[in-house]
Amino acid sequence: MILPGNATVTETTSITMLPAAPLHALEIWGNPQAVATRVHKALGFALPVMNRSANNAATTLLRFEPTVWLVEGDVSVLADTLGDDAALTAIGGGIVRFRLAGPHWRELLLEGGVFDTSLAAFPVGAAAATVIDHVGVRLWAQSEDACVAYVPASYAQGLHHFWDDALPLLGT
Amino acid sequence: MYQIACPHCGPRAQTEFTYERTTDSVVDPAADAHTAMHALYTRANPMGLDDEVWRHTYGCRAWMVLTRHRVTHEITAVKAIGPEALA
Amino acid sequence: MSADKTRGPTRAKTGEETIAFTFDGTTYHARPGDTLAAALLANGVGLVGRSFKYHRPRGIMTAGIEEPNALVTVGKGGRAEPNTRATDLFVYPGMMVQSQNRWPSLAFDVAAIFGLAAPALGAGFYYKTFFGPAKHWLRYEAFIRRAAGLGNAPTEPDPDNFSQTAGFCDVLVVGSGPAGLKAALEAAEAGSRVMLVEQDAVPGGSLLRDPDPAIDPAAMVERIKALGGKVLLRTTASGYWDHNFLTLSQRLAEPGAVPPHGFAQRLWHVRAGRVVLATGLIERPVPFANNDHPGVMLSQAVRSYVRRWGVLPGQRVVIATNNDDAYLTAQALVEAGAEVVALLDARASGPAAPAGVTVYHDARPSSVTGRKHALRNVTAVIGGSEQSFDADLIAVSGGFVPVSHLHMQAGGKLTWNEEAQAFVPGETPQVCETIGSALHPPAAPAAAPAGKAKTSFVDFQNDVSLADIDLAWQEGYRSVEHLKRYTTLGMATDQGKTSNMTALSRLAEKQGVTVPQAGLTTFRPPYTPVTMGLLAGAGARNAGAHVRRIPLHDLHEAQEPIWQPLGYWFRPRAYPVDGEGLVAAALREAQTVRTVAGLSDVSTLGKFEVSGPDAAALLELVCATTVGKLAVGRGRYTFMLREDGFVFDDGTVWRLAENRYLLTSSTGGADRMAHHISYVRNSLRPDLKCSVVNVQEHYAGIALAGPGSRRILAALTGAEPPRHMGYAPGVLAGTPVHVLAASYSGERAFEIHVEATHAAEVWRAIEAATRAAGGAPYGLEAMELLRIEKGHVVVGGEVDGRSTPHDLGLGGMLNKAGGFIGAAGLTRPALSAPSRNNLVGLVSLEGPIPEGGMLIQRAGQSPQGHVTAAARRILEGGAIALALLEGGHKRHGEELIVTSPTRGEKARVRVTSPHFYDPAGERYRD
Repeated sequence: MILPGNATVTETTSITMLPAAPLHALEIWGNPQAVATRVHKALGFALPVMNRSANNAATTLLRFEPTVWLVEGDVSVLADTLGDDAALTAIGGGIVRFRLAGPHWRELLLEGGVFDTSLAAFPVGAAAATVIDHVGVRLWAQSEDACVAYVPASYAQGLHHFWDDALPLLGT
Repeated sequence: MYQIACPHCGPRAQTEFTYERTTDSVVDPAADAHTAMHALYTRANPMGLDDEVWRHTYGCRAWMVLTRHRVTHEITAVKAIGPEALA
Repeated sequence: MSADKTRGPTRAKTGEETIAFTFDGTTYHARPGDTLAAALLANGVGLVGRSFKYHRPRGIMTAGIEEPNALVTVGKGGRAEPNTRATDLFVYPGMMVQSQNRWPSLAFDVAAIFGLAAPALGAGFYYKTFFGPAKHWLRYEAFIRRAAGLGNAPTEPDPDNFSQTAGFCDVLVVGSGPAGLKAALEAAEAGSRVMLVEQDAVPGGSLLRDPDPAIDPAAMVERIKALGGKVLLRTTASGYWDHNFLTLSQRLAEPGAVPPHGFAQRLWHVRAGRVVLATGLIERPVPFANNDHPGVMLSQAVRSYVRRWGVLPGQRVVIATNNDDAYLTAQALVEAGAEVVALLDARASGPAAPAGVTVYHDARPSSVTGRKHALRNVTAVIGGSEQSFDADLIAVSGGFVPVSHLHMQAGGKLTWNEEAQAFVPGETPQVCETIGSALHPPAAPAAAPAGKAKTSFVDFQNDVSLADIDLAWQEGYRSVEHLKRYTTLGMATDQGKTSNMTALSRLAEKQGVTVPQAGLTTFRPPYTPVTMGLLAGAGARNAGAHVRRIPLHDLHEAQEPIWQPLGYWFRPRAYPVDGEGLVAAALREAQTVRTVAGLSDVSTLGKFEVSGPDAAALLELVCATTVGKLAVGRGRYTFMLREDGFVFDDGTVWRLAENRYLLTSSTGGADRMAHHISYVRNSLRPDLKCSVVNVQEHYAGIALAGPGSRRILAALTGAEPPRHMGYAPGVLAGTPVHVLAASYSGERAFEIHVEATHAAEVWRAIEAATRAAGGAPYGLEAMELLRIEKGHVVVGGEVDGRSTPHDLGLGGMLNKAGGFIGAAGLTRPALSAPSRNNLVGLVSLEGPIPEGGMLIQRAGQSPQGHVTAAARRILEGGAIALALLEGGHKRHGEELIVTSPTRGEKARVRVTSPHFYDPAGERYRD
């Protein structure tokens, strides 16, 4: 059984299942510029563009879809900015976050993958949705050294085992 | 496996996409039975370029129309469809 | 081994043989870097296998992946790899190798006697047996199955993992010969992201056979790597697909060896900006009588064994050629101390031969005779007269075939090079080019075969001779595609790498046309055979897919339920106690729900939150029932149609707030529904102001059903639960929940939806309260009994993609205003024909009702419908079923027969309403 906080650690790489966090889908269907301005004012930073992230201490926004942002963390300041142009929907119960850390995380994500995780194609701060070993996952290049993967909860254990198996191949 | 230039994500592997149907078989919800069934069951099926509805299902989930050559598999154009994409 | 030390294969200078391996149980020693073929030859072993059909003795013909003869099984147990080419297997300590297709032993093979039956086994033998009486085929079959074959597939599971990895590069270079090395280094120096792929264990390609002091492959590889390039050895580019996508199969360990990291092989999925094919040439054999005997070897292969491995494949050698390249082989043999008995050149003139080598012009080999591991003599036709030579090896070169497989897989065209008698890569539709010798094969004029056709083999692996090609021609097989299928030429594991061109030129000769006019067969991936496990990757285990775990998996597991796979999900089917079986457990659970209360995990249901001012408008498009009229806090049953008017899913829809709805749908159809809603919302109605979010996994769902459910829930939430089809938010076990009063079982029931991360607390609280009240958890089997008795349809059962709302008795719920997807399709006359299959109930008058059984009025009649689900009355007993029956709505009361010929079961039944239990819904009426 894999519990939140469970981690696999090798000399160079760690795979850690992060504790559950509030996650919301923010979908905007109307007056995008006005919503963007209101959100910018409320959060103190602009809505990230497609396949990018932006954050402050309390809230991270990741844009994986043209009209939908994944909001990690506090949404209290957002709720009042949406009006009849957008909606927030809680989705955190269905997503497990993994932190893949160490110099080989880009290589690890090529296992069973189809997405170019090289620095040039997926720079720090970038976000991308793709498929790994037939599972739809969302990736956030959090730093040089670490990536956060958002995995459907039902597949979390399967993917964790898949990544564990692949660890000995890294750097070979 | 194709490489499809998603209008929102750039070039991505076909694995991330799903094919829906050709544009000539899209049924307007307001269409009468004859028109709707004609669209569903009578396809042009050209030996050449055709317009197809695809979705980046395992990527940005957005829909698009591919102009694809049915013999060479060359994709000559990709056009986003759906709610106005936000800049 | 040959008794005569001056004959047969041997090592030129022995001394560094440090690696022990076994071949058919005998231990031999090899040098580091030896292939199995090199090591066997070094140890004097020339006989390596028996042929596919005639069990003829076969040796080593090549030094590369094109080897048709020397196929072996390496490794043991689940790691055994049959049909491994001895020329493509690097010896490692402890390697265990078995020869194939021989019994009782390689040297003495009983089935070789079948070779005497060769006249009866010629081209088209299989086809011809089918035209005879069937009993003939039955007689041949056992004989063929025993006689014909290669290695045996292992029966144990493969203990190793197989990796599948994505690769991306600007330039992919295939082949590390002089041309490939140069192209890769130039690209790397220009700043491109480079991948260089080499199927051999060391880089160099033809340089390993013909070294060039000006080129240092190892140094160039180091330079490419230093510039950030990736160099993959033991890696074969085996498939070239659309849009410059290539599959590479990489050996991380030799076949049969225990891999260092648990992974035997890796399949690279590479997307390349540009592909450079530096794939080189494969030498053509020469047809003559008995040209398949050990001791007949390709000229360049001989040179490779001599120069690269220090092995002499023979000590008295005849060389037969139609080109200049074989003269280099003569040179190499002379330098290594072998005797070149004769150089037979089919041409009238050639270059200067090495000193001491006698060259015969206008000379072609016609036959050879052999001993066990080598030849005895070679007979040639020289200028019209025959001459024999005492020789143990003949090195042959019939010209060269450019390796254009990847170019052709990429959709390329070939052009004919008359001088080389070869097809060379031409135009290509992809960003790809061929360079090096594959583009410039050396001149090699055509030379007519001189020996008897019967034993002049063309396809060595499938035992196809020139006579077979001639026979196919005589019997009317004119096209190259027909020839291939009739003779099986080019259809073995080597896919005709050494045989296709020889056969094609014979066919062209018969047709009286040029080779390009005769045509070519299609090149298909993989270039060399690929292990099935590599294609399966991690999916080789768990039936190829990840199991989707429900949030409460571990909590259920603690109760040791019977699990049921449901799509990718696993759900509890029943929770047996006291040694109960499935049937008893399910019945007990269902009875508990009917009489007290039960709880069940319904987390896998499709769930969508739809919000925004146009949420109802979208739902009224997707759902065939009304939605907009729902009051806040109310819900209803709904179903969805395809555009053609047939039902494809059902569920419930709830108005959570003014502009927010929850839509549920079936587990099995959840992904399809997500896709459908997205299509409708984004593709058809992008103008709608709404948001649709898939919350299937966000919420765990717990069904609490039974006459006691309301009291249990009220006590847990401290609030009066909503009335039937009502919704209320609540708090249970300190956790916020949605309470939906919906009944699938037919009892008063609730679905409690809770954020999945907090589901365990809520389940535990409900389970404790339910058990305290005398209830119990129930699984899918009990749920099935309950819903059948209630007459509720299930997607995949009664909703089979062919039923309309009217067929299922749901017509009255359709949105009268129309406007939903499928409304137009539903107006077609055939969809309301009275003879359609309608949902009915069946009550048994005699015997249990077989599920899936056919409904008939009397024996011999065509079926008028079928049973979709069979069960029993939960409390009273007695077999009941749901069925789809022609015109069934109007046939209640009729007696029918249910017959299941496949199960050998029959029952007499009476047609009834499908609602066996509480048809008026009084059990949950408020």
